Amino acid sequence: MHLWQATAPLCLLASAALPTVAASAWGFTDASVAVQPKGAGINGGFKEQISSSKPLASPLAFTGADTLRVTLTTQEGSSAKRPHQAFLLLKDSQSGLDISYPFTTQKELPLQFLTLPNPVDARVVIGGFGSSEAYDHSVFKLSIERDVNIPIPTAEAPRYGKLPEIHHTFKNDPTNPPIVITLAFVGAVIASLPVLAGLWLFLGVNLNHLPTALKSAPLPHAVFLASLAGFEGIFFLYYTSWNLFQVLPAAAVVGAVAFVSGSRALGEVQGRRLAGLR
Amino acid sequence: MKWCLSLLLCCFLAAVNALSSSGSRLLVVLDESTEKSAYSTLWSDLEGRGYDLSFESPKSDSLSLFEHGERAYDHLLILPPKSKGLGPNLTPKNVLDFLDKDGNIILALSGKSSTSSAISSLLLEVDIHLSNDRSAVVVDHFNYDTVSATEKHDVLLLNRPGPLRPDVKALFDGEGVLALPRVAPQTLGNTSPLISPVLRAPETAYAYNPKEEIPAADDIEATGSQLNIVSALQSRNSARLTILGSVEALEDKWFSATVKTPGGKKTTTANREFAKQLTAWTFKETGVLKVGKIEHHLASNGEVSVDDLNPKIYRIKNETFFSIEMSEYAYDKWVPFRGSTGDELQLEFTMLSPFHRLALQPTGKTETSTVFSAQFVTPDQHGIFSFRVNYKRPFLTNIEEKHEVTVRHFAHDEYPRSWAISGGWVWIAGLWSVIGGFLAFVVVWLYSAPVVDKLKKTQ
Repeated sequence: MHLWQATAPLCLLASAALPTVAASAWGFTDASVAVQPKGAGINGGFKEQISSSKPLASPLAFTGADTLRVTLTTQEGSSAKRPHQAFLLLKDSQSGLDISYPFTTQKELPLQFLTLPNPVDARVVIGGFGSSEAYDHSVFKLSIERDVNIPIPTAEAPRYGKLPEIHHTFKNDPTNPPIVITLAFVGAVIASLPVLAGLWLFLGVNLNHLPTALKSAPLPHAVFLASLAGFEGIFFLYYTSWNLFQVLPAAAVVGAVAFVSGSRALGEVQGRRLAGLR
Repeated sequence: MKWCLSLLLCCFLAAVNALSSSGSRLLVVLDESTEKSAYSTLWSDLEGRGYDLSFESPKSDSLSLFEHGERAYDHLLILPPKSKGLGPNLTPKNVLDFLDKDGNIILALSGKSSTSSAISSLLLEVDIHLSNDRSAVVVDHFNYDTVSATEKHDVLLLNRPGPLRPDVKALFDGEGVLALPRVAPQTLGNTSPLISPVLRAPETAYAYNPKEEIPAADDIEATGSQLNIVSALQSRNSARLTILGSVEALEDKWFSATVKTPGGKKTTTANREFAKQLTAWTFKETGVLKVGKIEHHLASNGEVSVDDLNPKIYRIKNETFFSIEMSEYAYDKWVPFRGSTGDELQLEFTMLSPFHRLALQPTGKTETSTVFSAQFVTPDQHGIFSFRVNYKRPFLTNIEEKHEVTVRHFAHDEYPRSWAISGGWVWIAGLWSVIGGFLAFVVVWLYSAPVVDKLKKTQ
């Protein structure tokens, strides 16, 4: 896919036999860089001369299935010579990634280079043994673009380090309906009591038998009613603070009182029924 | 009183066990033919730091890493043998067993002669690779010593390495230039977090077989920073294996050599200091972590009584406080641990998977340790949780702490009462209006006289 081609046809014509000058330096001439889109012929695509003294002004765009071809003639001093090291070095200054492509070779670009945000620096490195000064200069910049729709396999490798923080997401607290609505319904519920009382009054409710009842059996009636109210009081205490073991004995006492006083009081009521008063 | 005693004991132990945090018996494996005296400064430096050095030839019959099934030495330093391999007593399996039993190893290589296949297969076990022909040498035409390698450019001059990553503690940094003659390069596999480079070759460096005139382009396997000059492995039991590509860098000659880069000034090498750092790290004088007291309790403003410390059970949504003491060994004593700036000690509150993973902040300091702490609310999920501190970083010994606690539901009497919930008021009002209605009905039923029916009256 990403085919890299870096070729160095070496001019061995003139001066390979010339003795090496002591303080000479490595360099190159006749260099060109070409980016060939896939399918374009050997002369298709973009091609530009590069110079050993000055890098190209604008970065080269390099996408998808392009082939990059760098051709140059290496020199020691001013004579063409094959060096021990002749590399095209790609370096990303931000991440510190670097890779070298020795001339002459054809290789693919590593995955890690496909996702770099900035153009990488392409340098030509020429060096050899002895005292000749080696050459290492940036010759052009390469901006590697890729089709964002094609997913690339990630180059993630396991490394020990800080892991992303995790904060537990709590369930929401239960919420109440707006207080106005609640109060409206509470009002409706409480209003049912006056409505009930009004209906009873309309039907002619009265307490006409109360004096009679109190006269004939004052104690049972008072105690019976009090025990009924006491029951509700026990329930209220159970709701607010008591536990079951406090409720049960109290309920047993009040229940016994209610049973005894209730039978007397209801006997009085029966007496009124038998007398034809109810 | 108690801590006074333990401090005294610590001092006593430190005095007895001179330096390394894991023993002082060091075995040096070197050929008889190798000039032992060439490394005399290294030996005296190591002895000065409290190691008991024993020297053995790889071929010697008495050489054994184990005695009665236990390690006979705490540390191992292997210099490259001249002969083919390391002999029958130092097979890759033996060496890995030594590593498994918490022994630490420095393995020095040399680019002068080809490395034996036994060493190569040992390194393959830990995903460190030597070049295919095992006789590659790193050269760099830009960073070589012009004094000693004018022609061959195989004495690399490099700065001391900085931190591996911004968030990794730098244990090998410092001023000065390192001279590394005839380096046998290593490349590291990408899939293991246990191996890490200590010193990498510069980007213009490459490796070639000096027996070949000019390397074919296809023979160059790795270049630049993919070539490692020094690499390190710290296994899961925190035992350490360091591969040093250039054994000559440890020689007396290079400990105080005067070197000069092309176009640079003459300087003396910092090899001696680097050798100290490298041996100190490998033999666990640096980068060793220890966990002290671990405490957790319900968060509170005041002092926490002993009874409330490290409870076995928490409730959901409890505000909880956790703290851990960490010390780091620095050559001869325990000092408060300080992580690097981009790094964090993290606390996980886990049940199968972490519900919380939080940074532990340094909040206090004792004489020998830093107290890291975090405060958080337990998740709204009951179950068996654990406080976990799983701190694994390159060059630092592994810390894995796990403390189990139960997280329970709200108890029945810990919920808010119904009158505190405004949505429940309607139901409460309904209940009490029924009760009121019932009492009124009882009174009415008991005492109401029947209404005199008009129809009945007329009858």
